Amino acid sequence: MHALIIDDSRAMRSILRRIVTGLGWDTSEAGDGQEALTLLEEGLVPDLCLIDWNMPVMDGYEFVVRVRSESRWRGVTLMMVTTESEHDNIVRALAAGAHEYVVKPFTPDAIVDKLGLLGLTVTEVPA
Amino acid sequence: MTVTTFATTQEDLQLFVSEVWSNHVAQLDELVPAPPHAWTAAAGVPCWSGAVSVTGEWQGMIAVDLAGPSAEALARGMLALDEAEDVDPVEVSDVVGEFANIVGGNVKSLMPGPSSLSLPLVAHTVLEPPSDLQPQLTLDLAWRDAPVRVRVLAVPSSSTTP
Repeated sequence: MHALIIDDSRAMRSILRRIVTGLGWDTSEAGDGQEALTLLEEGLVPDLCLIDWNMPVMDGYEFVVRVRSESRWRGVTLMMVTTESEHDNIVRALAAGAHEYVVKPFTPDAIVDKLGLLGLTVTEVPA
Repeated sequence: MTVTTFATTQEDLQLFVSEVWSNHVAQLDELVPAPPHAWTAAAGVPCWSGAVSVTGEWQGMIAVDLAGPSAEALARGMLALDEAEDVDPVEVSDVVGEFANIVGGNVKSLMPGPSSLSLPLVAHTVLEPPSDLQPQLTLDLAWRDAPVRVRVLAVPSSSTTP
């Protein structure tokens, strides 16, 4: 399994990377939506994108809209991981094609639980 | 004219900050209420500030101020570094910005009406707010005597609608 982590904070990417690599996943990272879109255009096919909302250049909502507008990426699961917690924006992101929504701050268990709800294989790697 | 009520309480702010700290700096000491004159005692210690602005029905700014040791502790926690490891100032800046972003986003979620959150602004000093912003809430905490302050400031007359 492969996760693309999209967040302008290196520290937040590091936190999410530790969570998903702990589950045995591979990861790639991008600092904004445009950088992530470029990775997809170049052929990266992640199983999951973990997406911040507020980022420079291209925000997470726009990234979701762009990904969902292309049928070749319809198999990619999209999960927002963001401080943006207004109800209307959560509804907007889900309507645009995000599958799940996690509000920061979160615990590792919250991410793992959401992956389980999405039916993504979760196999914790023994420490 | 409708006046928007400031909805965040000291307890809300304490909860947001504590959640970030306990999620990411759990292996280290907890934040505690700041001792009197904590910032005076920290005079001369390099500080970091991060701030995000909220625009919408409620307009204001949420700022976090951390004395160097507390900022570095948060950075080590979020980056999973050992306590003895040096932290690059670029990493500290990133972490302080994300801390402001998370706390600010949660404060914004309690405000009525649609609003938007800015990207964080970070400085290696205590940020002075624009003169049109008035303090609404201040939370003074400390990590191992190194102060951590969260300030919520608002434009007094901007929270009105025709």
